[in-house]
Amino acid sequence: MRAALLSLILALVAGQTPAPLPSQNAGDVYICPMDPDVRSNNPGKCARCGMALVAGLPDPVEYHLDLSISPRPIKPGQPASLLFAVHDPWKNRPVTNFQVVHEKLFHMFVVSQDLEVFLHNHPTLGSDGLFHYDYVFPKAGMYRVLGDFYPDGATPQLIAKTVIVPGQAPKPATLARDYSAKDAENLTVELVTEPQQPISGAKTQMIFRVKPADGLEKYLGAWGHMLVASADLIDMIHEHPFIADGGPQIQFNVIFPRAKNYRVWVQFQRKGVVNTAHFDVPVKELGNYIARLPPQPN
Amino acid sequence: MRKCRLVFIFTVFLLSAPAFTHDIITTPVTWNREISRIFYSRCIACHREGGMAFSLLDYREAFPWRTAIKEEILERRMPPWGAVKGFGDFRNDQALTPEQLELVTSWSQGGSPEGEAKDLPSKDKLEEMMKESAWYGNAAHAGRQSGEIIAKGDFKLTNSFVLDGLFPRNVPQSGSFQIIAEFPDGRIEPLLWLEGYKEQFAHVFLLQTPLELPAGTMITGIPAGSSIALLPAPKD
Ligand code: HEC
Repeated sequence: MRAALLSLILALVAGQTPAPLPSQNAGDVYICPMDPDVRSNNPGKCARCGMALVAGLPDPVEYHLDLSISPRPIKPGQPASLLFAVHDPWKNRPVTNFQVVHEKLFHMFVVSQDLEVFLHNHPTLGSDGLFHYDYVFPKAGMYRVLGDFYPDGATPQLIAKTVIVPGQAPKPATLARDYSAKDAENLTVELVTEPQQPISGAKTQMIFRVKPADGLEKYLGAWGHMLVASADLIDMIHEHPFIADGGPQIQFNVIFPRAKNYRVWVQFQRKGVVNTAHFDVPVKELGNYIARLPPQPN
Repeated sequence: MRKCRLVFIFTVFLLSAPAFTHDIITTPVTWNREISRIFYSRCIACHREGGMAFSLLDYREAFPWRTAIKEEILERRMPPWGAVKGFGDFRNDQALTPEQLELVTSWSQGGSPEGEAKDLPSKDKLEEMMKESAWYGNAAHAGRQSGEIIAKGDFKLTNSFVLDGLFPRNVPQSGSFQIIAEFPDGRIEPLLWLEGYKEQFAHVFLLQTPLELPAGTMITGIPAGSSIALLPAPKD
């Protein structure tokens, strides 16, 4: 016991977490394909999302994602067919083997320039090896389309594309802080952040409370999904809960990259119904924020 | 006796522990495994001895910069690619992917551990990764070629043109603007979204696949005073 305590102290002094117990396969690491920060020295399942951990470490490379849309030009309010083709970065050959991530091979997010349009859906893999999705772009302007997929034996890919629908573009979004409770389909969502004022580059805990919480279900293998987009649509982040157990409180951890305004969409499923709500979160720079605090008495 | 030995081990441990690992480690991401691979391919073409900026080749050199590194990459100031990912598609893209951003941020926040020596890429691998960088050698400027067209203002192509790359000129320092191609049939293709582009790090943007622009295509979004060289695909 004393020895264990001492080695713990030693480890802390040396700035390391206590050494793991020696295991048969020291050196191997097992990584959650979806949440790269969830790792283990032993095979098993991700504590956060339940996916099987994978051994080893492939180089983090970027695949090519081509999006073609027909007919052209795209017309607002009229059906368009979206085709996604994935190619590998080494030989540029079509990739057709994908891992299922949260029950799907391909997650797609669509966000409009004014942040009014939000879509999370799943193009399907056709016999041609391409992912297909039929969509009606509701209005003119710029859209960011985010493809989230995981080629076999690679790393998870999160690739943004830009689609421009000709016509009079809507005004870009101007966001102000909006943490107010939201009534969604069959539940109400409240948001508290810790710290109260999120700081760029530092961890923010996003704690959501849903009411009523009976009948909450996993949606696509997770207790919730979150998409974070900066108002200029440069940053787009897809997160799953850091802490959730099917109860009323669902916590996501996020690092907002820049001191900008962000819109945050969350999705929770209750009694078979998917609820989507959004909140607006202004993010400040550490320096600026401290300058605004009232002087401390000394 | 036993206590003595422990104290001795403790002292040796402290002495041998490098001064820079005093932060509590809360991340599984290490320099030797993930971060070195990202830096070799995206940073050290410039950040090395004899390069244009201080070296980030070794753990010991990078560690003191860990907080600045996080800020620079999250603000997209480093690597100085100067364009938003996913607006146009470039074969020499140097911007970090969302996954790479997450790994470097996690490493920086979590005590920036070195990890195990066996995980570090070999010297050959290092060279190979560094040479792939758009800024290695003179590659950044290799796009200037005969047949380029200089586009200014709202620019209309009089002849058809197979576009292989773009080279911004005289871009305002804090400039953020989107360049698009409006085809005669009304379709619009995103070409390039410059954001924080700096002349100091001037470079070409080479398209993933050449784009055929018919005669009459309008290139719009270039601000007054700036110009964009449209680079033709080599004819074969
Ligand atoms: C094209 C060359 C180039 C590349 C590629 C590059 N840098 Fe830099 N970087 C520079 C130069 C030059 C400076 C010095 C900046 C100045 O002169 O203001 C610098 C400065 C920095 C600084 C210090 C900023 C400050 O003043 O606090 C950091 C940190 C940094 N770079 C990190 C990185 C990282 C991390 C990468 C890779 C992900 C990277 N850089 C890629 C050229 C580059």
